[in-house]
Amino acid sequence: MPKTAAPLAWAAFPLAFLLVVLVAPAARLVAEGWPADGMAWTVVWMPWQDDYLRWRLVWSFLQALGTCAAALVLGVPLAWVLARYEFAGRSLVLRALMLPFVVPTLVAALGVLALMGPHGAVVQLGGPDLQGTAWLLMYGNLFFNLCLVVRAGSDALEQVSASRVAAARTLGATPWRVFRRVEWPAIAPWMMSALCLVFLYCFSGFGLALVLGGQRYATVEVEIYTLVAHELQLEQASVLALWMLVLTAVVALVYATIERRLAAPARADLLPRRRPRGLWQRLFVVGALFVFAVICVLPIVVIAWKALWASGLLPGTESTAWRVLLEEDTLLALWNTVRFSASAVLLATVLGLAHALAARHSLWLRTLAFLPFLMSPVMVAFGLLLLYPSWSGNVWMLVATYALLAYPFVAKAVAAALDSMPVQYLHAARSLGASPWRAFWRVTFPLLLPALRRGMAFAVATALGEFAATLFLSRPEWATLTTLIYQRLGRPGAANLDSALVLASLLMLLTLLAFAFIEHADWREPHHA
Amino acid sequence: MKHGIFSWVAGSLASLTLVATAHAADLPELRVLTHSSFAVPKPLLAQFEQDAGVKLRITKAGDAGEMLNKLILTRANPIADVVFGIDNALAPKALAADVLDAYRGAATSRAAVAPLPAPLVPVDYGYVTVNFDKSWFAKSGVALPKTLEDLAQPAYAGLLVVQNPATSSPGHAFMLATLGAMGEEKAFDWWARMRANGLKVAKGWSEAYYTDFSRNGGKYPLVVSYATSPAAELFYAKDKPAEPPTGSLSLQGGVYRQVEGVALVKGGAQREAAGKLIEFLRSVPVQQQMQTEMWMYPVEAGVARAEVMRFAPEPAAFHAPADRDMAARDADWVARWTKLVLK
Repeated sequence: MPKTAAPLAWAAFPLAFLLVVLVAPAARLVAEGWPADGMAWTVVWMPWQDDYLRWRLVWSFLQALGTCAAALVLGVPLAWVLARYEFAGRSLVLRALMLPFVVPTLVAALGVLALMGPHGAVVQLGGPDLQGTAWLLMYGNLFFNLCLVVRAGSDALEQVSASRVAAARTLGATPWRVFRRVEWPAIAPWMMSALCLVFLYCFSGFGLALVLGGQRYATVEVEIYTLVAHELQLEQASVLALWMLVLTAVVALVYATIERRLAAPARADLLPRRRPRGLWQRLFVVGALFVFAVICVLPIVVIAWKALWASGLLPGTESTAWRVLLEEDTLLALWNTVRFSASAVLLATVLGLAHALAARHSLWLRTLAFLPFLMSPVMVAFGLLLLYPSWSGNVWMLVATYALLAYPFVAKAVAAALDSMPVQYLHAARSLGASPWRAFWRVTFPLLLPALRRGMAFAVATALGEFAATLFLSRPEWATLTTLIYQRLGRPGAANLDSALVLASLLMLLTLLAFAFIEHADWREPHHA
Repeated sequence: MKHGIFSWVAGSLASLTLVATAHAADLPELRVLTHSSFAVPKPLLAQFEQDAGVKLRITKAGDAGEMLNKLILTRANPIADVVFGIDNALAPKALAADVLDAYRGAATSRAAVAPLPAPLVPVDYGYVTVNFDKSWFAKSGVALPKTLEDLAQPAYAGLLVVQNPATSSPGHAFMLATLGAMGEEKAFDWWARMRANGLKVAKGWSEAYYTDFSRNGGKYPLVVSYATSPAAELFYAKDKPAEPPTGSLSLQGGVYRQVEGVALVKGGAQREAAGKLIEFLRSVPVQQQMQTEMWMYPVEAGVARAEVMRFAPEPAAFHAPADRDMAARDADWVARWTKLVLK
């Protein structure tokens, strides 16, 4: 993109969207809770003076930081293996990585507890019961977030210049040294971007901490949720939400600064993947995949396995839970899930692309792309209700809120790709007389595609997941698979649990199909003019 | 290749259009706000729409407490014409916020088995009680607790999971029962001892029942649930056992009677249709069929109980604080509970 005013015009749409769907509603709710005689300073400092609330803030920060560190240490080797080695099942691993994202928290907790709960596999092997400990919460955080680091890492590593790696190797550098001196500097901006998301997700983490860690490990977001939704203490909630905003905005700003400083155009010579050779390389691949299996796959396998047993499809089992798949409600929910997600992802893609293109040279715009993750979602949800009561039953509003939570993924992925995009091609196209639009369409856009696809895959996962479904108002005719799963888990009885597990498996299957579609659909080819 | 990005975009646009055209009826809309557990069979709802000449627009707004707060927050510009699911625990708050309008009709002139303060019209009722896992108690040989006091003894350490009263209706109801039976000081003393005795607090009913209750893989054989839960366990059992796998306890001071009602929303429209909906919820078919949908008892006196409800006997006694104390003190109680049990 040439440095002109044009890119800034791209910003108009996403900024207007953020203003209408996020900033105005949250501000409206804060105003509702604002005391008539002004906010007292004692109230403003209250979260830091109250031991309990201070610990909530500090704990939210610590566990998010810890998860980031663990995700980096565990995720980078896996990303490296996926980017450098060719092996059977590689593309399946890349897709399965993101399944945790769509699993409803309560279902994920059922899977995790079946492994590490009081009657789980770990206990049966003589280990400790981890339910209610910080370790299980960390594990849960990794389960949901490792994919962010690995996907960003493997995409970034694929862009590292082959000739520079080859040069370093020729000069006698060990693989570790090559990684540290050549590869890491090249992928650092991408990793920062991913870690920043992990941090924000964990910091404002919501359901998971309560189910896996117990009330002791509740995050600030849980406090805000309780204050708003159940106690209608808007003043206190606003103060907490504003503190959250300040803390997370600092993180986002620091990140945006680092990212911009580190950004460097990549070279356009790609390193081919090869089969692992020799014992050590094979061991490395196996080790990385083992970590992947333990953290991301096991709980999902447990859910699918339980669902298979519960479904009654196996010979010798009595249940008929699979019939839930044929129920009218399920088919409606499936259809709703597909149409809402498709609409939301379309909107999120447009918003994300526009935001990323506009934000290339603006630190503030870069930081603003994180805004949907900085603002307390419950504040936004209640604010929307307060500001636009007559839209509360409007389906466009629903799609907009889905897109709101999904679009930062597209924006971040595309922004990172733009930073490392080789400039030669674009210059060549322009000097050969291509119009800016044509140069964008035939050069920039195809180069952005891998990142766009990654961003869209995460956007799909967000739209399919529970966040949007549980926070906002819902109408029975809009029920999605996630809503249906929670409905089943809202009643006692084995058949309800079985149906919930079968529905969760259907949701995961749908997600895999969506990922396959996004990553394989041949939509790079515009019609030949 | 023609099936490029354009066909993909076209497909997505088509799906957007489908989103937009989902509702295209000319009938007036009756907006109903409910909690997320609301369930009336679809054929009955369709019949109502036909009889009343309206299109129902049901909005589920989360847990009952959350729903009421959304109603209070939007009172200047109501998001519904009629609201279902405000119970006796929330009634004082709803009345104080002045978000409901009076209704008079056939339903209000008939006596209800369980009452609610006007303008709420009672629809169904149930009991929040402690449930137990039969196989756990059979295997461990531990005797079932007979009083709340038993639960605070070392023999019952780490056996009970309750829901957080700040975030869950049954959790709130259970706390109110203890306050009503023991009085404030004794009740909070009991809760403090329960904390010391390994009480587990879960966010909501689903978390407690499906991740903590020993019947579903947790380690707590006692869980706060409903008197009808064992009947539901039997109803939804796979192998059709003769007896439910769980039971409910009527501990003195550990039972709360929850009465759910329906009311007109102040400032709402469609008054006539809203009234018809109130009468509809009290009609015999709804009162009969919702029993195994929402797992509550009907408030209409003559309505037959579902067969499976014989496994859900009604507790003889239940407790609650006086309504005027509720209105004045409820928020403080929840705060004190949180401080005592969680902080």
